[in-house]
Amino acid sequence: MLTGKQQNNDVRELGNLLLETGSLLLASGANTERVRTTLLRISTALGHHTEVLISYRSLSITITSSNHEHLFNSVRRTSHHGVNFRTVSGISRMSWRVVEEGWNIAQIKEEMARIKALPHFPRWVTLAMTGLAGAGFCRFAGGSPTDLLIVFTATVAGLTARQELTKKKYNPYLCIYAAAFVASLLAGLPAWLGLGSSHEIAFATSVLFLIPGVPLINSFSDVIDGNLQNGIIRGVNGLVISFSIALGMLTSMMLYQLY
Amino acid sequence: MDWTLIEKVIWFGIAAMGFSVLFNVPARTLPSIFLIGAMGGMTRLLLLQFNTNFIIASFLGAIVIGLLSIPFAHSKHAPPLVFSIPAVIPMVPGLFAYRMMLGLIRLAGDVPPEAFTQTLYETVSNGLKVMFVLMSLAGGVAVPMLVTRKQSAKHLRFGKRGH
Repeated sequence: MLTGKQQNNDVRELGNLLLETGSLLLASGANTERVRTTLLRISTALGHHTEVLISYRSLSITITSSNHEHLFNSVRRTSHHGVNFRTVSGISRMSWRVVEEGWNIAQIKEEMARIKALPHFPRWVTLAMTGLAGAGFCRFAGGSPTDLLIVFTATVAGLTARQELTKKKYNPYLCIYAAAFVASLLAGLPAWLGLGSSHEIAFATSVLFLIPGVPLINSFSDVIDGNLQNGIIRGVNGLVISFSIALGMLTSMMLYQLY
Repeated sequence: MDWTLIEKVIWFGIAAMGFSVLFNVPARTLPSIFLIGAMGGMTRLLLLQFNTNFIIASFLGAIVIGLLSIPFAHSKHAPPLVFSIPAVIPMVPGLFAYRMMLGLIRLAGDVPPEAFTQTLYETVSNGLKVMFVLMSLAGGVAVPMLVTRKQSAKHLRFGKRGH
């Protein structure tokens, strides 16, 4: 039997751990329902009652201890939303192991430290594979081998620009605008120099690696799950990203006088 | 044998893998994502060959992706969204979106009156296609989780009774 003080410490530690887990999930591209079920699964397995309030950039948790004597309540602001499915997958697996293997708080802490330290793919692999994805888009639109090559180069350059600007902590929409500008500027260059007649397909598909797929799909699933507020906010985020892409393209179209 | 079809199906798989690397998925899921993306793309391409509506073909392709992501989630121990989101993104109709944007710019600028109706017609048509395809992609991926009424794919096994 735990003493009162021990249980109080327990609830506080669990609370801080859940806030950390939840904000990491939100920042890694999980939808609202996934964050909620994961946090409740962990706290139920540890025998405490938890209520969560999830908004787009902050997370609030209230935990009542199993003997109803202790209460934890705190809010945490999450970082900017990105996408990291390795984190989402790792936390999902961890939450099930907490249930099935009866983990304690120390074990969860250890696993969270491991998940946070998980590596990314090497940078050149990310650049090359995203370039190929861009080339794929170009192929679906009916591009020729030359177009594919142009889009591959433009995508690699655009993603490099985005990564460098993100590292310097510029506004995320500005990073996307710059990436779209760089990619479309490169994709439009061959046609502007008079090499080949039309590169409409290459120009149009060079910026598609930036499409806000995760915000838009999460927006839809949030709305379907009844988390309307978060769904609308994610949708607006997706729209602003699309608008930034369009502005970046528009800038290079004005330079090339394409319209 | 239609080689263009096979080539495009392979491109779908490669594009799905490209996005999964960008989204930093666990490395063990990469081959499955290639397969799921290729199957979704193949569904759409085959349906388009039989003159199916572009929106409906995209919707069915997305449903195939959503369905396939559940067994793979079990075997590779990762949530279904890790498979479905990178696999569905290559289906986004980029060229239509570009043409819609171009049309909007023209409409906002100085379109001669005799060309206005034509431009408006093309812009609205392309824009609606983009909107409905995006909605059917997001919806199609969500269908398997919706119809099974489960909060987690963990207890979801096709062909067996759930516990």
